[in-house]
Amino acid sequence: MTSMLTAGLVLAQSPAQQAVTTGEAVAFWVLGPMALAGALGMVFMRSAVHSALWLVMTMLSLGVLYMVQNAPFLGFTQIIVYTGAVMMLFLFVLMMAGRDSSDSVVEVIRGQRLFAAIFGLGFAGLLVTALTRSLTDVTPAAPLDPGSATGGGAGGLGRLIFTEYLFAFELTSVLLIVAALAGIVLAYRDRRDEGPKRSQKELVEARFRGEYERPSPRPGPGVFATGNSVATPALLPDGTVAPESLSDLIESTTTARLVAERERVSGPQHDDARALLGAPEDAPEGAADEEGEK
Amino acid sequence: MQHFLAQGGDLTVPDINYAAVLPVLIVFGAAAISVLLEAFLPKHRRWSAQVGVSIAAIIGAGVALVAYIGNAPAGGITTFRAAEATGGALAVDAPALFLWGTLLALGLGCVLLIADRSVEPGGAFISQAGMTGATQTRIQAQVTGMQTEVFPLTLFALGGMMTFCASNDLLTMFIALEVLSLPLYLMCGLARRRRLLSQEAAVKYFLLGAFASAFFLFGLSLLYGYAGSVKLADIANAAAGTDRSDTLLFAGVGLVVVGLLFKGSVGPFHTWTPDVYQGAPTPITAFMAACTKVAAFGGMLRVLFVAFEPTSWEWESALWAVAVISMAIGAILGLTQRDLKRMIAYSSIAHAGFLVIGAISLTENGLSGTLFYLLAYGFTTIAVFGVISLVRDSKGEATDLSAWAGLARRSPLVAGVFTFLLLALAGIPLTSGFIGKFAVFSAAFADGKAVLVVIALVASAVAAFFYLRVVVLMYFSEPAAEGPAVTVPGAFTTAAITLGTVVTLVLGVVPGFAMDWAGAGGFAF
Repeated sequence: MTSMLTAGLVLAQSPAQQAVTTGEAVAFWVLGPMALAGALGMVFMRSAVHSALWLVMTMLSLGVLYMVQNAPFLGFTQIIVYTGAVMMLFLFVLMMAGRDSSDSVVEVIRGQRLFAAIFGLGFAGLLVTALTRSLTDVTPAAPLDPGSATGGGAGGLGRLIFTEYLFAFELTSVLLIVAALAGIVLAYRDRRDEGPKRSQKELVEARFRGEYERPSPRPGPGVFATGNSVATPALLPDGTVAPESLSDLIESTTTARLVAERERVSGPQHDDARALLGAPEDAPEGAADEEGEK
Repeated sequence: MQHFLAQGGDLTVPDINYAAVLPVLIVFGAAAISVLLEAFLPKHRRWSAQVGVSIAAIIGAGVALVAYIGNAPAGGITTFRAAEATGGALAVDAPALFLWGTLLALGLGCVLLIADRSVEPGGAFISQAGMTGATQTRIQAQVTGMQTEVFPLTLFALGGMMTFCASNDLLTMFIALEVLSLPLYLMCGLARRRRLLSQEAAVKYFLLGAFASAFFLFGLSLLYGYAGSVKLADIANAAAGTDRSDTLLFAGVGLVVVGLLFKGSVGPFHTWTPDVYQGAPTPITAFMAACTKVAAFGGMLRVLFVAFEPTSWEWESALWAVAVISMAIGAILGLTQRDLKRMIAYSSIAHAGFLVIGAISLTENGLSGTLFYLLAYGFTTIAVFGVISLVRDSKGEATDLSAWAGLARRSPLVAGVFTFLLLALAGIPLTSGFIGKFAVFSAAFADGKAVLVVIALVASAVAAFFYLRVVVLMYFSEPAAEGPAVTVPGAFTTAAITLGTVVTLVLGVVPGFAMDWAGAGGFAF
C-alpha cells in the first residue's frame, strides 16, 4: 500500500523531473484526452450503464498512464481491481436492478443545487491551487524504479507486507473472517426450523384453498412487454399493465413510455381496438392509477 | 522489467515478542476456533461450547497478560518490528497492558451478560437474523435458541479493541478499528425483541460508522503525505521539524481525531449513540458502552500523546471546545429523556466529555487519570445495563422511566444496587466515579485548564440531577398498577452485575492499587 501511495504521489511530479521521451509524450497525449473524455462522458450520460462504461474508459486510460510512468504494479492493480472487479460488479447491480430504472430527480435537501455549486467550485479551486503549486515550488521526487526494493514495484510491496506490515496483513485476515461470518449471519435462514418442505401437490392445494394471495404465480413480463428487466411491468392481453407485476422496490418504467410502445405494437387505431387499450372503467386498479398519472 | 521477481535479497523475519502479544493472539485464536465450532457442532450443543470457549479464552488471555506483566521490561516494548525499522506495529507498554487488562475484565462481564438465557427466555438475541416480517413472528414462537455467532463476533471485536489501543502505526490502527466495528454493527441488529428498532440501530451505526472510518482513512492518507510514514513516532518527528506543509498535518490530525471521537461517542459526533444504545440488545449496549469506549479513548490517548504531542498548541483549543460541547449535550439532553437506555446513552456522552478533558492534559497524571476513569466507568456501565435488563414487562425490557416508579418497594435489592450505580455515574464520593472524576479534573487543573474544570463541575452537577431523578422515582413514587416485574437473574447476569458493582465499590474505597497500575509508565514507540 505504501508503495502504491508513493507511486501515486510521484506520478504527478515525474514529468517535471526530466525530459519527457517521445513515446511517453505520445502516450500521454493519447491517454490524457481519453481519460478526460471518459470522465466527462460519465457525468453527462443519462443512462447509468453508459456512465459506467465511460468510467471504465477513464480507469483503463489511467491504468496505462501509470504503467507508462514506471509503476506497472499500480497500473495492473488499477485495471484488475477497479476496472475488472469494482466496475463489473457495478454493472451487474445496474443490470439486475433494471437498466431502465431511472433515479428519482426530486431534490430532498433544500438548497441542494446551491450547496453543490459552492462546494464544487471550492473543490475545483483547491485542485487547481494544488496543481499549480506542484508545478512550481515542489522538489520532484526521484523517478520510480520497480526493480529495486523500495521503488514501488510488486517486490517492494511484498517485502513491506511480510516485514513492516506483517501484523496489519494478518489482521486483515481477521477482518475477512468477520465479514464472511457477518454475511452468513445476516443472509442465512435455516429452513429446517420451518417444518418439512411442502410437496408440489400440497402447495397446489394450499394455493387453491387461499393460503396464498393468488393461485397462480405472479405474472412475468407479458406478451407485449418489450424488455425482460424487472423494471418493465407485464402487460395483460388487453394491453394494460398487470399491477401484480410491478415491483414494490423498483421504480418501474413510466407508463407514458409503455403507452407509446403499445400503440406501436397495436398498429393504426381501429374502432374495435378499444379492447387493446383497455377501457378505464374495467381496467385494473393499478393500471387506472398509472393512466391517471400521465 | 524482466528483473521484477528477481529483485531480491533475503527477507529478514520481523522481530516478534510472542509472550507480549499472547493475550491478543489467544483472543483471536479462540475467535477462529469458535467460528469452526459454529460450523461443525450440532445446534443444541453450540451455546454451551461457545460460552465455554469464550470465557476460557478471556481468562486464558488474562493469565497470559498477568504472566507477561510479571517480567515485562520497564519502558515497554514494540513488537512486530521489521529488521530495518525503528518501531514495531504493536506497542506493548504500560498503558497498553492496563487497557488490555481493563478490556479483558470488561469483556468477561459482557460475555456473561451475552450468555445469559434466564432473564429473557433463550437470550437477548434473535435465533436467526436472516428472518424478516411475518415468518419471524410465527417461527419465533417455537424457536428459543439464539444466534450463537454472537460469541465469535464478540471475541473478534474484543481482539480488535485490544489491537486498537496498542497500535503503533495508523495503518494497523485503522484495520483494528474495522475489526472492532464490523462485529458491533452486526450485533446491534440481533435483538430478539423490537426487531425494527434493532435493525434501524444497526443500519444507522453502520452508515455513520462507515463515514467515521472514511474520515479516519482520509486523515491517515494526509498524514502519510505529510510525514512519509504512517508510524506515530515518525509523524511526531516530522511535526517537530517545520519545513513541511502544515495544511496536510492539520487536516490529517483533524480527520483522524474526528474518526476517533466518533467511536468514543463524544459530542458533536455523538448522534448515533442514543438510537444505537436503545435499539441494540442490552448486553451489546453494555459491550459498546464499556469496551468500545475504552478502546476508542485508549487509541486516542496513544495518538495524542505519541503522534500529535509536538503540535498540541494547535489542536488543544479545538478539543477543549469538543469536551465542552460533549459535556453540555450529554448533561442537558440527558435531562429530557424518558427512556432509561437513552438516558444512559446521553450520560455516556457527558462522560466522554470528561474523558476528553483527561486526554488533552498531556501529562502523566492526565494519562493515568483517564485510564483509571475508563476502568471505573466501564464496570459501572456493565452493571447498569445488567440491571436495566432485569426490569421487564410482557413486551420485554421496560425501559420507560414511568415503569421504574416505586421499584424500591417491589425489589429493594435491585433498586439499591441501581441507586449505587447511578450515584457512581454521578460521581458521589465512596464510588469509583468520584475517584475517576477527581483524578481527571485534578490532572486538568494542574495542567492549567481551570476554566474547563469549572465547566465540567457544572456539567457534573446538571447530570447528577437526572441520575437522582431516577433514584427519587424508584423510592418515593407509587408503583404503577400494571408495572413491570423484576426478573430474578440467572447465574451469569448475577455474576456480571456483582462484578460491576463490587469493582465500582472497591475502586471507590481503595483506589490506590488501580491508580498505581494506571500510572505505571508512559507510551513506548
